Amino acid sequence: MSWRAMFSTLYRHSLMPLLVLLQVALACAILCNVLFLVWQKMQPMLAPSGVAGHELILVDQISSTTRSWSAAEVQTAEEGLRRLPGVRAASAATGLPMVLTTLMIFEFKGPSGVKIGVNGYIGDGLVKTLGLQLVAGRDFLPAEYREYGDTNAGAPLPVIITQAMANQLIPDGQPVGKLLSDPNESTDPGYRVVGVVRHLLRNQLGMATDGKADYTVLTAQKIGKADGLSFAVRVDPSMREAALGEVRSFIHRQFDSTMDSHSPARISFYDERRDAAFKSQRAALWLFAGVSLSVVIVTVIGIMGLTGFWVQKRTRQIGIRRALGARRGDIIRLFLVENLLIVVMGVAVGMLLAFGCNLLLMHYYELPRLPWSYLPIGGVLMLLLGQLAVLSPAMRAARVPPIVATRSL
Amino acid sequence: MFRYNFKLALHGLRRFPKSTTLAVLTVALGLAASMTTLALLHMLSADPLPGRSDHLYLAWVDTVQAKPFNTEVFKMAGITISSYDRIRMPDAEALLGAHRAMRQTALADMSADVEDGNGAHRQKDQNLLATTSDFVPMFGVALRYGRSWSATEDADRRPVAVIDENLAQQLFGTTHAVDRVVRINNKPFQVIGVSAAYAPQPHFYELASWSFSGSEHESVFVPYGAALDAGMSAYGPDGCDDSVTQKPGAAPDPQHCAWLSYWVQLDTPAQVASYREYLTHYVEQQKSLAGFGKKIAKVELLGVSQWLEKQNVIPDNVRLNVWMAGSFLLLCMVNVAGLLAAKFMRRSGEIGIRRALGATRGSIFTQHVIEASVVCVIGGVLALPLTMLGLKILRLQDDGFTDLAKLDPLMFTGLFVLALAVGVLVGLLPAWRASAVEPGLQVKSA
Repeated sequence: MSWRAMFSTLYRHSLMPLLVLLQVALACAILCNVLFLVWQKMQPMLAPSGVAGHELILVDQISSTTRSWSAAEVQTAEEGLRRLPGVRAASAATGLPMVLTTLMIFEFKGPSGVKIGVNGYIGDGLVKTLGLQLVAGRDFLPAEYREYGDTNAGAPLPVIITQAMANQLIPDGQPVGKLLSDPNESTDPGYRVVGVVRHLLRNQLGMATDGKADYTVLTAQKIGKADGLSFAVRVDPSMREAALGEVRSFIHRQFDSTMDSHSPARISFYDERRDAAFKSQRAALWLFAGVSLSVVIVTVIGIMGLTGFWVQKRTRQIGIRRALGARRGDIIRLFLVENLLIVVMGVAVGMLLAFGCNLLLMHYYELPRLPWSYLPIGGVLMLLLGQLAVLSPAMRAARVPPIVATRSL
Repeated sequence: MFRYNFKLALHGLRRFPKSTTLAVLTVALGLAASMTTLALLHMLSADPLPGRSDHLYLAWVDTVQAKPFNTEVFKMAGITISSYDRIRMPDAEALLGAHRAMRQTALADMSADVEDGNGAHRQKDQNLLATTSDFVPMFGVALRYGRSWSATEDADRRPVAVIDENLAQQLFGTTHAVDRVVRINNKPFQVIGVSAAYAPQPHFYELASWSFSGSEHESVFVPYGAALDAGMSAYGPDGCDDSVTQKPGAAPDPQHCAWLSYWVQLDTPAQVASYREYLTHYVEQQKSLAGFGKKIAKVELLGVSQWLEKQNVIPDNVRLNVWMAGSFLLLCMVNVAGLLAAKFMRRSGEIGIRRALGATRGSIFTQHVIEASVVCVIGGVLALPLTMLGLKILRLQDDGFTDLAKLDPLMFTGLFVLALAVGVLVGLLPAWRASAVEPGLQVKSA
């Protein structure tokens, strides 16, 4: 079978191939963009949290419009929580994973001048309470902690960073002991890295994409006087429910008289918070999945329908080919290759279209640029779909007996 | 002729029921997706107060005695700081006292427990609008009974209240609640008016509290002076003078923090221009501001639609979904055009005979466009329940605004106009192809 014969068939009956091409191009453009959006939503959900989520209870947020809590009150509550049965560690904290009521944001500049924006978690003994895995350096020493809000700067503030941050800020060499600076405050003594943890998911979940999921820092600060109080409590996994009850009744005993009754603190396990935090993300994913599925179904049906008609129209041509010695396999191959040709052209147009759409969306909405790698993914997907869709009409074509060549002439 | 074409179209559709069904279903799917997203966008971009909002303007003067906020850090962290362009109480009082607009009011949302006089019925955490006497006439709150308060009562900080029918019913078991006493935040207020429920969408006059909501609305209106006297306070302010320290979550200092939204009614462009001039002049008089790096008078006078645009009240993903659904509809259209082209070409013989018997190309073309339109209108009918289903799914997501997703008569008509337009567009190519059939060739081979 010569390529020229095939091209001339496509050219002479150009309406059907053109419509298939157009469908493939549109579907490819939509799928590339939707898959990209899906990946943007999925990344924070797939990122490892780094914390012992199953054992972690979060209390957030004890607040009052009329008063704040003194350092002594905070410490009493923290120690009270630590003494509860089933509790292994407890920290008063500001900024906690999956907690969106308070965000702590920091900017760091590495020795090589790289600047990144990260979320921070602050509290006494958070490495132990959150169950983080240290891969280099050490935890903060008790003497290193300063009271949050104290500005008696002198020595750099000790910090524990994540591996992802270390790779970004200090790409060459050992991160422990290095100095990081605040690009906005030239007079600030900066921060000294004392330890590196493997993972710690940031609480600004919308930013947890493109390798920035672990942009989280722990600083050697503890909560002193506080306007809104949050606690992280790590419990014995075998006593989860009992410990949750203990923590609840303790918080009520301790704070019911002082906290606002109309916005009571939420006391629940990390897993539950995670579920709630990703609720809208999940809804969006379902929507995108629905869109992708509809696009795929519509495209497959469209290609099947059009090719089916084409086979019917070319029955006599197929008969002649068969009569001249073409085998069934040759006929099937003819249609598969024809489809491949059309789809490749469609994908080429579709990639341009996908890129254009993304540029348009980027211009109007806060969307990142579509990486090049999505274009071939969409293309390969379309090629597979095209071949799949054309299979049944091609088989039908292969069943055309050679005898039809002689009929009705 | 149309009837004949229509009959031919129906006949044609019955010929290959499988491909007809497929085409109808595809169109229905595309239309339903588009209509679902369009209906939500339409509800969210509707005029909150038709007939009134064209004359309402939010006025803002930057007189807070503090250094301008450094937003660079937040930008890097991907956080947009919302500022709702509110002003401090002393400024509000000065502007109110000057009476330079047709009507003017200052307002802020608060929340309080409300009970009847003897404390028998209690409604917790009611949304309450602390405002001034002009609010009710200016924003078109419909009074059922009684009256709204006067400027004198504002000045006297008189504890009077206008409550809505639902709250009156809950507290007193009747909507005739005028002259009764309600206890708001444990302080007695006299009910002087009962209003119909008031919930414009979006909640444009105080976006700091919420923008779209099917459940939240203010059920109590009181003079803001009286509200402060009763110990209530606004939520987080936009900014405070450096002379006070504002703790996050704490009640804002009414004198030194920007917590009041200031709205004016201006009926002509000339009034708008002169009011803007007045505001600029007002800020320029505040000599002390220069010390805070605010050398140039910053004022704003924004119409309702400008204001809503500035605050970006319609979430980006609502628009994004419209784009997505629109491109899906386009795909469906190409698909149906293909299905119809195949269908029409199958009857080339029949078309040849019609042409041979004297039908013009034009009439063949019309016949097939009508057939395509019939397919799409049937698809539109089918899309209606699908759209309802789509909207119902949207309402199930509690994004705050999604419970407004409904199909109004305009969108209902829009669905069928869209279906028809899609039908004609989709029909053009296949119909042209069908009308290009050469009669001689077809008759010979048939």
